[in-house]
Amino acid sequence: MLTLTINGTTHQVDVESETPLLWALRDTLGLTGTKFGCGIGQCGACTVLIRRAPFRSCGITVGEAAGKKIQTIEGLSTDNTHPVQQAWIMEQVPQCGYCQSGQILAAVSLLRKNTNPTDKDIDRAMSNLCRCGTYPRIRKAIKRAAKLAEAEQ
Amino acid sequence: MIATAMSRRTFLKVTTVAGTGLAVGCVFDNEPTLTMSAGEGGQLGLWVRISPDNRITLVVPASEMGQGAHTGQAMLLAEQLEADWDTIEVVTAPVGSAYGNKKIMYQQVTGGSSSVTAWWDELSEVGAATRELLVEAAAQQWQVSDSQCTARAGRVYHEATARSLSYGQLAGAASRLSPPWRPKIKPREAYRLIGKPIPRLDIPAKVNGSAVFGIDVRRPGMRFAAVSQSPVFGGELTSYDERSALAIKGVESVVAVPNGIAVVADSTWHAHKGLEALGPKFAGGVTRGLDSAKVDAMLRAKLDEMGKAEIKGAETIDVEYQVPFLMHATLEPMNCTAHVTENSCDVWVPAQNQDRCESAAVDASGLSSDQVNIHTTLCGGGFGRRLESDFVTQAVTISRAVSKPVQVIWSREEDTRHGFYRPASMSRFQISVGTDGKPERWANQLACPSVAATFFPPVAWFDFDPTTYEGAKPIPYTVPDFDMEYTNVDFGVPIGSLRSVGALHNCFYVESAIDEAAHLARVDPFEYRRELLGEHPRHKKVLESVAKASNWGTALPEGHGRGIAIIECFDSVVAQVAEVSITGRGRLKIHRVDCVVDCGRVVNPDIVKSQMQGGIVFGLSIATREEITIKDGRVVQSNFDDYRIMKLKDSPIINVHVIQSDRESGGAGEPGVPCAAPALTNAIFAATGKRIRRLPIGKQQL
Ligand code: FES
Ligand code: FES
Repeated sequence: MLTLTINGTTHQVDVESETPLLWALRDTLGLTGTKFGCGIGQCGACTVLIRRAPFRSCGITVGEAAGKKIQTIEGLSTDNTHPVQQAWIMEQVPQCGYCQSGQILAAVSLLRKNTNPTDKDIDRAMSNLCRCGTYPRIRKAIKRAAKLAEAEQ
Repeated sequence: MIATAMSRRTFLKVTTVAGTGLAVGCVFDNEPTLTMSAGEGGQLGLWVRISPDNRITLVVPASEMGQGAHTGQAMLLAEQLEADWDTIEVVTAPVGSAYGNKKIMYQQVTGGSSSVTAWWDELSEVGAATRELLVEAAAQQWQVSDSQCTARAGRVYHEATARSLSYGQLAGAASRLSPPWRPKIKPREAYRLIGKPIPRLDIPAKVNGSAVFGIDVRRPGMRFAAVSQSPVFGGELTSYDERSALAIKGVESVVAVPNGIAVVADSTWHAHKGLEALGPKFAGGVTRGLDSAKVDAMLRAKLDEMGKAEIKGAETIDVEYQVPFLMHATLEPMNCTAHVTENSCDVWVPAQNQDRCESAAVDASGLSSDQVNIHTTLCGGGFGRRLESDFVTQAVTISRAVSKPVQVIWSREEDTRHGFYRPASMSRFQISVGTDGKPERWANQLACPSVAATFFPPVAWFDFDPTTYEGAKPIPYTVPDFDMEYTNVDFGVPIGSLRSVGALHNCFYVESAIDEAAHLARVDPFEYRRELLGEHPRHKKVLESVAKASNWGTALPEGHGRGIAIIECFDSVVAQVAEVSITGRGRLKIHRVDCVVDCGRVVNPDIVKSQMQGGIVFGLSIATREEITIKDGRVVQSNFDDYRIMKLKDSPIINVHVIQSDRESGGAGEPGVPCAAPALTNAIFAATGKRIRRLPIGKQQL
């Protein structure tokens, strides 16, 4: 048994410690908001936050993640009140939506470190793939989320 | 109670739901003489369900794969229904003849950018008929005439007495009425939804992880399966190590599937580990010995077979262009969940072609079509790949073998190596220009596997495939002596439809060739096109608009260049201008793309915009880096590390202008893609004098 702390709740999971965190989240814990796209750390669909930093959950094992604070898309807010979710809705970002859990978490992490990111900062932080090509709207939504968060302060 | 009525094109059926709700079913037919017997009632598809608590469920024919089709179709229906937009929920219809797409041979298909265009009239009619039922129910209750009542935002009003009732309150009574003979369609002046940038219905669930895609389906007792298919197309399984696979924790069984083998386990991870241990070996296959050099040689041989044209003129061009195989790279890999029992087969699948899924499930389960239920989930991208049903065959085969619900998820490697690829092709142009600079003769030859043959084989026998030569014939430019010839080539590599299909390669070919002709004539490429579009005012307007939007003709910084391109496809006209620069070290930077689209009547301008933006990124990604190559009969690439797609940091500023016009609607999901490549390569030419004739640009010297 390994202990995972996800979105503030602790879970005992009965999986081998070398299991990628992604599959423990999806298949063992039923947290399907985190997606599978490549399995090799390229696409970012599986992005989660571990100690507030973005990680590709296909490339980190349950053993490595055990005991650390993990946040998944489900932990952001279920009623879409988080400023990044709000901005995503206002800018109508998602198309198919498959990449968006990962994009949103990457943006959350960027905005925690940098409350007013420039285009260059966004370029550097947002390496997740979106096959639907929502990039122009992601860029706008991050800037809008920065403003929303500022207004909330 | 079931009541039926027939209008010229519509059979409507109304039934009660659980005693109090209202459900409207309907089937559409173009034959005005058809009558319906009571027994045919079962063929009617359900379209609208209104429950007493005012919830409205719209059952629409389209799959939602990111293109906004659920929202677009719901807007058409809700406009006439006068529904309250905030109470609407949308689901994709089950398989049924009522949902056959008239633009795609009455198959239940989401494709051809037709979700709005094919369904405008039908969705309007169902919405209007349902509204009239609700109005009639209210009028009866108040004992006034229908004409004194109005429907608005989910309620019926009797203004004179300031009374109103909600649709939920009226649903029960409405369900006992006969549907109207010929519902009155609300005119355009009265639209409240259509033409407005209404927020999409699917977005709230897509920002909190609750949206259910194919891989998110969970059934009680469900198992997970991983598959491996012959890397050489059509090869056969020769050996595998079942014992080692079964030794992996959680692995339960090994099941043969067409052209491959599956491992079933208690989690996706265990299934993939089991597959590794299984180490299946394959032999033979139809593409054995094929490689990319051979593909090129076969294409060139086909061009040579067609033979060069005799070409005379003041000046001439004789050039060849080429594009590679491409994969769809939907971010959600192919997957399907099936549960087969002795007398039923349920399939949950992200799919674009429900008819094909049903046939695949019937074949693999040995059951009849009325025992098969196809449940369409949200699709994590489609782009044409989900028109196929190979994943359904696998899931049903495996579930039948293990008698449990099973979810098959392909690895990205499997997805990359077992696609239905956009075909590699080659196109030759011989063009002569007269002393006035205008083209006199235009001889174009295209060698390309037939895309239409993948769903209708006879087209390949006669080299007649307007899908594959869309964009090359006809062209909008005035050319006195025009000649375009097409020949099919078969490599044995599976071919499919990729977003915008034939227009994707032909737009690159034709819009490069016309740019070369402009250069030969020493005329500005925009002016040259405009002059030759004399007979096409719609094209001309779009082209002029994009020139204006992009400040065409104004000075640019040193090293920058602009390129222009235009296409008509799926009844829409799109033009784009790209602005690029090349650094001293030969690095390409795409600064901005301006896009103008005329897609006729627009349902939701913001969705059209997002489809153009996404289409441009898709097209630029293809032009700059995407390529599937073949070696030893197999696909070389395996994952996103060697099949690269565009990232945010490389995507340009994109400005989209939507021209609203009175013409019939055109498509929006696909037409944004084709111009991106030629606008880009024409811009590179303007900046550097280097003409790109082969895609992707990749590492070509700029
Ligand atoms: S699935 Fe983890 S990065 Fe793609
Ligand atoms: S929205 Fe479809 S992959 Fe990003």
